[in-house]
Amino acid sequence: MAREKYIKMLLMACASLSFLAILLIFLFIFQESLPAITRIGIPNLFSAAWNPDKGQYGMLAFLIGTLLSTLGGLLIGAPLGIGTAVFLDQVAPSRMANVIRRGVELLAGIPSVVIGWFGLIILVPFIARITGSAGYGIAAASVVLAVMVLPTITALGAETLRSLPPELKEASVAMGATRWQTIRKVLLPAGKEGILVAVVLGMGRAIGETMAVQMVVGNSSQLTLNPFQPTGTLTSNLVTNMGEAVGNFRAALFAQALVLLILSMILIVSIRFITRKKEA
Amino acid sequence: MPERMRKHAVLLPLELICMAVLLLPFSLGGTACSVWGTNVVRISGSTTLLPLVQEGADRFMDMYSDKTVLVQGGGSSVGIAQVKEGIVDIANSSRELKPEEDDGKLVDHPIALDVIVIVVHPGVSVNDLDVEQVKDIFTGRVTNWSEVGGADAPILVVVRDRASGTREMFDKEALEDEDVVGSAIESNSNGIVRETVAATPNSIGYISIGYVSESIKPLSYDGVIATSDNALNGTYTLSRYLHMFSYGEPTGSAREFIDYMLSEEFQLGVVAQEYIPVIGIEDE
Repeated sequence: MAREKYIKMLLMACASLSFLAILLIFLFIFQESLPAITRIGIPNLFSAAWNPDKGQYGMLAFLIGTLLSTLGGLLIGAPLGIGTAVFLDQVAPSRMANVIRRGVELLAGIPSVVIGWFGLIILVPFIARITGSAGYGIAAASVVLAVMVLPTITALGAETLRSLPPELKEASVAMGATRWQTIRKVLLPAGKEGILVAVVLGMGRAIGETMAVQMVVGNSSQLTLNPFQPTGTLTSNLVTNMGEAVGNFRAALFAQALVLLILSMILIVSIRFITRKKEA
Repeated sequence: MPERMRKHAVLLPLELICMAVLLLPFSLGGTACSVWGTNVVRISGSTTLLPLVQEGADRFMDMYSDKTVLVQGGGSSVGIAQVKEGIVDIANSSRELKPEEDDGKLVDHPIALDVIVIVVHPGVSVNDLDVEQVKDIFTGRVTNWSEVGGADAPILVVVRDRASGTREMFDKEALEDEDVVGSAIESNSNGIVRETVAATPNSIGYISIGYVSESIKPLSYDGVIATSDNALNGTYTLSRYLHMFSYGEPTGSAREFIDYMLSEEFQLGVVAQEYIPVIGIEDE
C-alpha cells in the first residue's frame, strides 16, 4: 500500500514537472521579450524593415515567410497525405498497405537536417534550373515542409478512416455507390474532423520546423511574395541570429519566439475547437 | 479535507527533489569549471576561432595531461562579455573591441591574421572587382554581371549572418557600413558560404582565405590578389586579426595556453594552414 502511494506520488511529480517546464518556458520567453515591446515598440517590431544594426527590428518579412511556407507545405503535403491515407485504408491490398505504412513511418523518423540537406543539394539547384532564380525561397521550403508533414497527416488520416464504423461503407456500397463515390461522399465527410486535426497537427510541425527550412529558404531579410526569391522565416531568423545577439536585438528575437509560440498555441486551441464541435 | 492537505504537504518536497535531480546536471555544468581550480582554462567567443582554438586546446592538453582547456562558441560579443564577468579566462574575438567594450583592462593577444577573399561561382567570367564595384554589388546598386564586365546574368549575393565577425569586418571595410542588399542569402559559416557559392550560378560571396578551394573562383580586389604577402604589406585591405582577450595580464594556465598558441610550433604547424601566422609579423 505504501508502495502504491509512493508510485502515485512519483507519477504526479513527473506530470507536474512537465507542466512546470511549459510554464517556465512561456514565462521566460515572455519576460525576455518584454523589453522588445517596451523599448522597441510594437510598430517597429511588426514593420517590414529588419536591420538590427540600425535599430530596425521588423519581423513582418519573417512572419509572412513562416505563414507562406507553412501554407505551401500544406498545399502540397495535405492532399498527398490524405490521398495516401485513403489509399492505405480503402484501396491498397493489406500487404501493400503495410509496406507503404512502414515507409511513411520511416519518413517521420528522418532527422530534419537530412531532409534539409537533401533539399539544399537536390531541390534548390533543380528549382534554380527550371525558374532561372537562385532556387532558395518559399517554394523550396514548402516542398521540404510537405515531406515533413506528410507522415503526420498520413498516419492520423489513416487512423481516422480506420476508426469510422464499417456500417457507413457497407451501407453506401449496398446503395449501389461506387468505391470512389463512397470515399468522396461518405467516408471523407464522416472523417472530416479527424482529418482536419491531422492537417492542423501537420501545420504545427511545419510552423516550428527550423533546420530544414533554414537550409533552403535563403535567410535573407527581404519581404517578398515571390516563392522563388530568398527570404526568411521566424525560425530560420532565430537560429541564424541567436548566436551573438545582445540587448534590443536579443529582445527582438525573443519577441519573434513569442509570436511563434502564440501561433502554435492558436493551432492547439483550434484543435480543441474542432474536436469539441464534434462532441456537441 | 485534512487528508488532502497532508497529501499536498508530502508532494511538495518530492517535487522539489525531482526537480533538483533533473536540474543537477545543468547546474553542475555551470559550476564544475570553477570547482576544478587553476588547472582549467575556460574560453568562449567567436565561432570563427573555435576550430583553431579547439585544435590548440587538444594539443595543449596532450602536452600537459593535468590541465584542461574548455572551449565554447557563442560569438565574439558573448566571449568578451563573459571574460569581463569572469565566467571565462579568455575570450576569442574575430573583431577589434568596440569602444563601449574597452574598459582598459582587456589585454589583446592577436593569434592569427585572417584574409577575406571575395569568391564567385566558377561560371562567372569576371576576374577582378574594384572597391566601388564590390560596394555596388553587395549593397544592391549593381544587380547584373554585365554592369561590371561580365555576362548578362543577375548577380546573386551571399553574405554571412549578422553575428559573424567576418561580416562585420567586410561590412565595415568593403561596404563602409552601408546596408547589404535585402535579397542577399545569409549563411552561418565560411563552409556554407563556399558550398552555396559553388552550387549557385552567378553568385558572389566572401570567405576566409583558408576556405578557398577548387570549387569556387577567388577574385582580386581592386587589382590585388588575396595572398598572405599582399595582406601583410598592406596592399590587400580585406584582412583582420583574430584575437584572444584576457581580463588583465593572463596568469597560470591561461598564460601558458596563450604562449602555446603563439609558439612557433602552433603558429607554423596549425595556424599557417588556414590563416597567416602572427609570429613572423612581430619580428618585422
